Amino acid sequence: MADTATALGTHPASVTLGLPHRGRRRLNRRSRVGWLFVAPFAIVFLVFLVAPLVYAFYLSLFTKGLATGTTFAGIDNYIKAFTDTSFLNGVWFVFRFSIVLIPIQMLVSLAAALVLDALTTRFARFARLMIFLPYAVPVVIGALMWGFLYSPSFGPLSQIFGLFGAQAPFLLSPSNVFGGLIIVVTWQWAGYYMIIIYAALRGIDPTLYEAARIDGANAWQVAVRIKVPMVSSALILILVFALIGTLQFFVEPSILTPVANGSITSDFTPNIYAFNLAFQYAQFNYASTISFALGIVVFIAVYIFLFATRKRGSFLS
Amino acid sequence: MKGNTVKKKALAAAISAVALAGLLAACTTGGGPSKASTGTSPKLTNCSNKIVHKSAPEVSVWAWYPNIKTVVDNFNNLHKDVQICWTNAGQGAPEYTKFQTAIASGKGAPDVIMLEDEQLTGFELQKGLVNLVPYGANKVKGNFSVGAWKDVSQGSAVYAIPVDGGPMGMIYRKDIFAKYGITTPPTTWTEYEADAVKVKAAGGPLFGDHASNTPQVDTALIAQDGGTPFTYDLAKPKDIKIQLDSQAVQDVLNYEAGLVKQKLVGTQDQFTTDYVSGLIAGKYATYIGAAWGPGYLTGAGVGKGSDSGQFAAAPLPSFDPSDPSVNWGGSTFAVTTQATDKTLAAEVAEGIYADKASLTNGWTTQTIFPLNQSVLKSSAFVNNKSAFFGGQQANKAVYIPAEDNYKGFDYSPFTNYYYAQFTTLLTKINAGTLSGTDAASQLQSIMVKYAQGQGFTVTQ
Amino acid sequence: MTTADFRARRPLTRNTLTGRGTGRNTLGHIFLGILVIYFLIPIWFLVVASTKDAHGLFAGSAGALWFDKNFNLAQNVHDLFTYDGGIYLQWIGNSLLYAVSGGVGATILCVLAGYAFAKFRFRGRSLTFALLLGSVMVPLTALVIPTFLLLSYLNLTNTIWAVILPSLLNPFGVYLMRVYAVDAVPDDLLDAARVDGAGEFRTFVQVALPLMRPAVVTVLLLSIVGVWNNYFLPLAMLSSSNLYPVTVGIGLWEGLASSNNGGGTSLWNIIIIGAFVSIVPLIIAFLSLQKYWQGGLSLGSLK
Repeated sequence: MADTATALGTHPASVTLGLPHRGRRRLNRRSRVGWLFVAPFAIVFLVFLVAPLVYAFYLSLFTKGLATGTTFAGIDNYIKAFTDTSFLNGVWFVFRFSIVLIPIQMLVSLAAALVLDALTTRFARFARLMIFLPYAVPVVIGALMWGFLYSPSFGPLSQIFGLFGAQAPFLLSPSNVFGGLIIVVTWQWAGYYMIIIYAALRGIDPTLYEAARIDGANAWQVAVRIKVPMVSSALILILVFALIGTLQFFVEPSILTPVANGSITSDFTPNIYAFNLAFQYAQFNYASTISFALGIVVFIAVYIFLFATRKRGSFLS
Repeated sequence: MKGNTVKKKALAAAISAVALAGLLAACTTGGGPSKASTGTSPKLTNCSNKIVHKSAPEVSVWAWYPNIKTVVDNFNNLHKDVQICWTNAGQGAPEYTKFQTAIASGKGAPDVIMLEDEQLTGFELQKGLVNLVPYGANKVKGNFSVGAWKDVSQGSAVYAIPVDGGPMGMIYRKDIFAKYGITTPPTTWTEYEADAVKVKAAGGPLFGDHASNTPQVDTALIAQDGGTPFTYDLAKPKDIKIQLDSQAVQDVLNYEAGLVKQKLVGTQDQFTTDYVSGLIAGKYATYIGAAWGPGYLTGAGVGKGSDSGQFAAAPLPSFDPSDPSVNWGGSTFAVTTQATDKTLAAEVAEGIYADKASLTNGWTTQTIFPLNQSVLKSSAFVNNKSAFFGGQQANKAVYIPAEDNYKGFDYSPFTNYYYAQFTTLLTKINAGTLSGTDAASQLQSIMVKYAQGQGFTVTQ
Repeated sequence: MTTADFRARRPLTRNTLTGRGTGRNTLGHIFLGILVIYFLIPIWFLVVASTKDAHGLFAGSAGALWFDKNFNLAQNVHDLFTYDGGIYLQWIGNSLLYAVSGGVGATILCVLAGYAFAKFRFRGRSLTFALLLGSVMVPLTALVIPTFLLLSYLNLTNTIWAVILPSLLNPFGVYLMRVYAVDAVPDDLLDAARVDGAGEFRTFVQVALPLMRPAVVTVLLLSIVGVWNNYFLPLAMLSSSNLYPVTVGIGLWEGLASSNNGGGTSLWNIIIIGAFVSIVPLIIAFLSLQKYWQGGLSLGSLK
């Protein structure tokens, strides 16, 4: 733990080193014990994730219209999905949303973590908790609160703008909904990311700063040259999960739909589209296809991201 | 310092204790499923009501009327041979989502389910509902108007028993009308627009609201103007006629787009706190809605403050005096194909919310606009002086005639998709980026393409 | 012992003044101040709104972010706990049951699996782990129908198990446990225990588990929060309102309030106070346990 240079990818070596070299039998026994430890999780994993996934994939290969029976479609559904404007527009939206949201979120949480790491005042401690607080608020309830706050007739914005006799902007109108959602989602998750980065920062060996200080580096340089690189694997982990989560964007917009005055359509994001296909339009097969098509998109996006950051080995080691 | 370590140890102990308890729990869960499967049907173990006659067989019911508890208790007290086990599985869409899941899984549906009229055809086509004619549905046919019964029928088959209806009318603010010199409420849509122009010119509030999330209202107005968006009969399940680019549709959408463009009406979505608070604040001179409107509005706090007694009802304006009455909303009870005992389930569907006590409770609390003729013809209902309307006999003047003249409507089997697409287009109309004519032709091509994709033979 | 060394290290680094500022950074404080306002406004709104009646909520005298002249908190609390026969308490109880049993169960599975992934070398380990990460890429909406089918086959839909059993799954927790265990549990320590004749399970309980404690607390808390905040799983799996967790219950009220066809009273004030009361337990849990989960979050690899 003390060795900050230990990268994720290197640990299998240390595991091997730790093994007493007593030959295959011992290893086989250990292998069995290992499986025993994994078994409870593996069972739940297989039953509640892998099996449903396999079944959903199976469903995605068939087609059933309201007026027709079920027929095998093969990849036809996938061809349909990748030419379906509802799906493609949704993918385009979540892409744009990720590209704007994730850097903002990261910047807010990284900056907050760096500032908190540098300050030791009571206010800093208070701020740390307050920034983290939204994580403890269920997304459903967070979205409900933001719906009230965004209200054009009794939200605080209308009062503030009303002071100047101006009409407050409606943050969920078709032209503002993008930014309106960015505010909600950043509020919901930035604190959580901040805490992870903050915890990683606290784990850095402080003698490194000492050395930098002697070399004449100021606080800003320490932050950019030492702290950020030292927490880069935490950042990449967060980015990957943020990317997956944002491409699967679902809960916030669906909760805000009733108060969004039509801005959030039934195919707003691919995941919302899949949900509506299944439960509003009774198209379970095609809904499964859309979900897997989105899974493919997510996989490609994550792969490209990991490739771009040259850390792809870290997660699948 | 020392206290801290003690605390830490205590915590560690607590965690291990919890972990152990969890492990034990995990072990016992293994036995859970098998035990449950040997017992009786699990869906009847979670009733939200009291079972009066414990020995009688139970029928599970999903429903969400605000006074449903009273209704269920009334039923259970009156019936020794069958008891209702009721639960609220969600209001509207959440309930349909669960029902849809249950249909797809072949398991998990209740015996009897509350559904809105517009949802019936879709679930009928998916074979989720039972034809109630063999189970005595026609015995209660006489309790309902022709239009109400048509909405639950497919040819000679009947898939649900009506409870609540939504004949439409116009609610208006007497004080606003008086202030801007409107002596008689508009009877045609042309007059409605002219009055709106007058109020706006005098610096008055918005005259009404054109919401994007109530395609039901636009659909009703299309029907009023003589349009028939869908022609569908379950007897020929693969054939559907779609006429969404007709003159009626274009006229209605152009009319609404015109009101919006002139800023005569607002574009706030309905059923939102923003809309209701605007209504309370006198931001809208009229409310175009159904007979359940006063109940909904009262429940939302309208007519309780400075606006108390200021509302009045008038017949819905029309395009032409010969226009038929139209309907928005309405709910029914249907028997699902997953019901264990269809005879008992049908008895519940036909008997629930049909006794005098429940119906009286329903209309006096403004929970429903009852479709049962025994109420519609009772003098208490006919002559009722509505508190919401400041003592006006609104039932007699507006809603009963509207219900009597309602002839029914052909719903498509893909209502949800139609509404979602229509809402998207209405949002564009409200944003001023789409004309009514273009919206009509887009809606037609979207729906035709969808229906064909679902395997229907479409005539236009 | 090594355990003590490991524990002692952390407070030491924290108290070292080198490299950390002394807290006189004005710019930093202004930045934090702005963030605090942003993150607190919705919660402040909820606190204020909880004290209003329906009229105050929509047409209050002092706007959305200050108290109305009519202070209605006591009445709201009373209404919340008496509405519909006090079903709100039942929902809170259900949420607690689901969160604690699902959270504890998930944590146990995560600890066992994470430990094994970190400390054992066995066939299929890499594949399993890759599968684990890949599986979160398909959105969960695809799983609703298959999961429902599975649970209805077991006759478990609309029972507490329909929420608890799927909640036991927390792949991210396994990942966290694994990366933590890799560094926090030294292999020589395990070997020493084995040489002393301790079985694998005893080695795990007596040697590894205490070392993994901070991560255990963290994963436990994250799992509990995950289950507590869950909305769509219970919404899809439960149809009886007396089994709902509080999130779904409040959603039910919202639906009722939005299309309230009668019933006489506005539900918005109990929805608001219900939302407020429902976040209090988690906030208390976080505040009282912060020392532990913040330590646990600095998981080995996250450096």
